[in-house]
Amino acid sequence: MQYVADMKGAQTAGAAIDIDRVSHVYAGPEGGVQALSDVSMKVGAGRFIVIVGPSGCGKTSLLMMMAGLRDHTEGRIHVHGAPIPKPDPERVGVIFQEASLFPWLTTFDNIEFPLSLRGMSREERRRRSEPMLSLVGLSGFGERYPHELSGGMKQRVSIARGLVQDPPVLLMDEPFAALDEQTRMTMGHELLRIWSTTNKTVVFITHSLTEAVYLADEVYVMSPRPGRMIDHIMVDLPRPRTYEMMATDTFGRLRDRIWQQIRKSH
Amino acid sequence: MRRPDPKIVRWGILIALLVAWELVPRMGLLPELFLPRLSKTLTVLWIDLDKYWAALLVTLYEVVLAMVIACGLGIVAGATIGGIAVLRDLLLPVFSSLYAVPIVILYPIFTAWFGIGSQSKVMFAGIYGFFPVMLSTAAGIRTIDPQFLLAARSMGATVTQQITKVIIPASLPTVFGGLRLGGALAIIGVIVAEMLTASAGIGYLVTLNRTILDSPRVFAGILCILVLSVAYDIIARRLERRMVVWQSAGRRQQQASPRPIAQGAPAPAAA
Repeated sequence: MQYVADMKGAQTAGAAIDIDRVSHVYAGPEGGVQALSDVSMKVGAGRFIVIVGPSGCGKTSLLMMMAGLRDHTEGRIHVHGAPIPKPDPERVGVIFQEASLFPWLTTFDNIEFPLSLRGMSREERRRRSEPMLSLVGLSGFGERYPHELSGGMKQRVSIARGLVQDPPVLLMDEPFAALDEQTRMTMGHELLRIWSTTNKTVVFITHSLTEAVYLADEVYVMSPRPGRMIDHIMVDLPRPRTYEMMATDTFGRLRDRIWQQIRKSH
Repeated sequence: MRRPDPKIVRWGILIALLVAWELVPRMGLLPELFLPRLSKTLTVLWIDLDKYWAALLVTLYEVVLAMVIACGLGIVAGATIGGIAVLRDLLLPVFSSLYAVPIVILYPIFTAWFGIGSQSKVMFAGIYGFFPVMLSTAAGIRTIDPQFLLAARSMGATVTQQITKVIIPASLPTVFGGLRLGGALAIIGVIVAEMLTASAGIGYLVTLNRTILDSPRVFAGILCILVLSVAYDIIARRLERRMVVWQSAGRRQQQASPRPIAQGAPAPAAA
């Protein structure tokens, strides 16, 4: 791993992400709205974490806070041993839904966008984007524009863009939500393949319980607003995961437990 | 049945119109005072070529300056108003309403201020073309997908980089639409102004010849303006297509993009 935790983070050594009693109140039209309430989680390096919860529970807000894209009112968020007051693409890569690819840039230029922000030369950028493109299985599509790619391909490009600066942490905000179910399954599988070759810490948000169980090492379940962590489930299915596992009792039990938690919280 | 190539059809229509222009007056279906035949129109154009050429240059000069004013001011004002929320809420409705005002009623004031020379035409047409440029620039900036900016920020883009690398390219298609319309209005503005009060230019020639009932020379002027406008449109389209390759196709794609599909698993009840 490139990023070395600084000494201040020694007490949280081993935790890639350390969220400690984070609350957030934002100004709504009728006074303060409590979005998050006393959220804590510790994410070990290299783990695949999935957060599920009902719409509007603040899971995206929480992810944005981990990315340094949004403030929180109380508590502490450390990523690799240090707070993250503003985005730091060398520590955290963020992958959004497919709509966040820039339609005026080719696949190469999209993937290289974070590198171009830092004034890297064209040759150096290309040298780093080529392997990313082949990692996500899109070799030969570098000169295409997003509108020439399918939804799944666009999401592969997004993943490549998130990986190109080699951040140890990858945050994914419902990245496959806009895909049809078959593509979504394939992409989940692909993501696991890519993840297994890169050793990244992943925090992944989804609405899909199947996706959650299929992908995760650990699933966190959040309550409706104000968002709290109401369950933390270890998914001890072996890796590599296979589609057949979805039919097993263990898989069904895990999915059912998450579903019960979400239902109870209403 | 195979549908004929639209290009061929278009040229066919054009040629038919030109032939009709020649034949209808020749056969006496319309008096030549109303519609002088094409050959006569072209002949007087050829005879007075110096005059028309000089007039066209004056008009062209005014059009170019008016376009520079319309586009320059329009982009700056549009970007400022579209980019700053307070200004947007305050001023955008005002400008939108002003757009509907027939600005030509102000032209007499422009001639009082700037005289009957080129200056008044340039100012009038510049203002005329300013509105669509300004409004579409403001719209282009306002309608940028916030997800683009969020993504750029997450990758560490500074404010300047967000402007140059996201806001400008993302708003380009909408801005271009406004530029094309603003440019067309600048041409219209110049011609109309020349026809109202002027001492030179194609519009002036048309009005002058109309008052002495010299139809072929009126139509020769109209022909010049037609060529000017069509040439402008072709150039503008070419430019637009080159600048925003991704736009037309991207828009089509967006409309066809699949909606999120419900999952096989029990869906978490929406809060």
